[in-house]
Amino acid sequence: MAGQVLFDAVWKRFHRGLAHDSLRDLIPALARRLRPGAATAPPELRDGDFWAVRDVSFEVNPGQALGIIGGNGAGKSTTLKLLTKVLMPTRGMAQITGRAGALIEVSAGFHPDLTGRENVFLQGAIMGMPMQLIRERFDEIVDFSGVSAFIDTPVKRYSSGMNARLGFSIAAHLEPEVLIVDEVLSVGDAEFQTRAFGRLRNLVRSNIPVVIVSHQLDRIVELCTDCILLQSGQAMFHGPPQTAVQEYLRGTSARGLSLEEATSAGIGILELTAPEPQPVTSGSSFTCRVIGEVTAAEPPPHVELGIAIVDAATNQQMYWTWFRSIGAHPTRQGKFTADFEIQANMPAGLYRIDTSVWHEQRQVIIGQGPNRIFQVMPGRPFFGTHQLNAAATIS
Amino acid sequence: MIRTILGDLWTSRELFLQLVRRDLKLRYRQAIMGFAWALFLPVLTISAGLILRMAFERNGGSGTAPSLGGIAIKSWAWAFFAGAMNFATVSLLSNASLVTKIYFPREVLPLSAIVAQGVDSAFGLAVLLLVGYWLGFHWSLQLFWLPLLIIALLLLTTGLAFLFACANLFFRDVKYILQVLLTFGIFFTPVLFEPAMFSTQVGHLLMLNPLTPIFEGLRLTLVERTSLLHALYTPSGILVWSPWELVYAFASGIACVLVGMVAFRRSAAHFAEYY
Repeated sequence: MAGQVLFDAVWKRFHRGLAHDSLRDLIPALARRLRPGAATAPPELRDGDFWAVRDVSFEVNPGQALGIIGGNGAGKSTTLKLLTKVLMPTRGMAQITGRAGALIEVSAGFHPDLTGRENVFLQGAIMGMPMQLIRERFDEIVDFSGVSAFIDTPVKRYSSGMNARLGFSIAAHLEPEVLIVDEVLSVGDAEFQTRAFGRLRNLVRSNIPVVIVSHQLDRIVELCTDCILLQSGQAMFHGPPQTAVQEYLRGTSARGLSLEEATSAGIGILELTAPEPQPVTSGSSFTCRVIGEVTAAEPPPHVELGIAIVDAATNQQMYWTWFRSIGAHPTRQGKFTADFEIQANMPAGLYRIDTSVWHEQRQVIIGQGPNRIFQVMPGRPFFGTHQLNAAATIS
Repeated sequence: MIRTILGDLWTSRELFLQLVRRDLKLRYRQAIMGFAWALFLPVLTISAGLILRMAFERNGGSGTAPSLGGIAIKSWAWAFFAGAMNFATVSLLSNASLVTKIYFPREVLPLSAIVAQGVDSAFGLAVLLLVGYWLGFHWSLQLFWLPLLIIALLLLTTGLAFLFACANLFFRDVKYILQVLLTFGIFFTPVLFEPAMFSTQVGHLLMLNPLTPIFEGLRLTLVERTSLLHALYTPSGILVWSPWELVYAFASGIACVLVGMVAFRRSAAHFAEYY
């Protein structure tokens, strides 16, 4: 049976503070529920209630991967809990057809006093794996986790990394018809993360519906066919992952430069085109164009225009330079166009181009210009943090 | 709804077995007493019964004292009931990380607690039957009532366990209420005495406790060798047993399980929000 994920106009109400403070609150609440028609009447918010998920709908079919992004408390995990039936929607319908495999809290069922071996069977059973399958896959699971030397040690003596690795390995060996993933991409050390991500990618590509929640935006762009941006429980955007990520980061980065600010500075950046080509290949060059305007009679001498490349996953600035230092600073009043060519000497991932206006004397950013998200795909294989394009000849 | 629940339980039988195994393993890992635990509470209750018996004999003559065998088997049943209720009531809270994160039929948690206690008690019963001769057990065909009475006890325990387990999630003081009920319950359940020792009215009142017919049934089949199909009176004409008691025990057990299952399932949808 082909799996499917359906989330139809789902609302979920939560209560701030304690559920029922005492019997005095409980009895009126029960009375309300018993009143005829109370069950069918549309639920409303009472004191201290709020909507954790508000009218969210989506559908994921085999071969599709839906990413869910958003800030902390936006309702991402609640959405997944509604999908996996841990929570019930207040209104609407959340439904999964087919055997769901959830890579959520992958070591939740571990008991500290049980050995790794015992926990594999326990956690597998909790995740709905048939015993037969766990027995068949046991060696594979342990090998993948890399904790085989400690498999008969109680997991309370494991490091947190080992714990998470074993948990992930169990979950990754489920044979799901629907895959739900919540923030498990940052498990273990770098070596394990690479392996875990490879495993996840294979699962995603095995033609099943996938729902992924992650803060690793580059992973979302790489894995997903579709993406939802959640904000205070509402779907602010639903569409291509790259656009969703851009929307999200635009919301999180500082506001753009307003006209007054541009006018007061005497110079402003109005537009930034998307990098070409898309996606960018690691180690090759890409171009982008900045359109701006000098509103003062001549470019103000102490104001600099800046362009920066930022790692979208970590928000770390990788490169920053002034227009003036590369000969792209405007020289007279009116609109100007600056064409950039930048070498993407960086590993595959998701990056952002930032533009800004900088006051050199006051040492402050006067205003943020527009920004753009772009994705760098792996080029020739290399390891490390910089793509230095090593070339060699052999004789 | 009952059919859905039973279907869900059947699908998750492997999870259920894993949880029972976990509960049993954990009970004896890093524990000083090991399987002696299975005997600890019954032995303690039997000793209490012996003290009581000595007091009875001293004040009312040897004929009035409760039989040691009766006390032994009823103590065993009480130990199972109390243990199962204790473990099942906290089962949802002690598995909080599971309930809030992963979906599975929540019924398996109290059920596995009961079954783990059941495995424990089965060892206790085996030991009890082995030393039964010295306790005053008599082997007869009436022994066939034993499984039936145990089923009635399981039904009643399961139903109550479902109710207490979900109640304890919504109101955390339910486990303290349970402690009080179990501490004093032994005075209202004929473990150390027999209802026929009282006047007819008090005896009838005691028989309203659905545990009473089960406990008395155990004593009658194992110690008195009487068939549960016939009414039984003391020489002075006080009713000791009527076949309707058995019907009452089963009816209340089944009612309890049905109510417990439905209440548990209906509230299960909101479990994850109450941690």
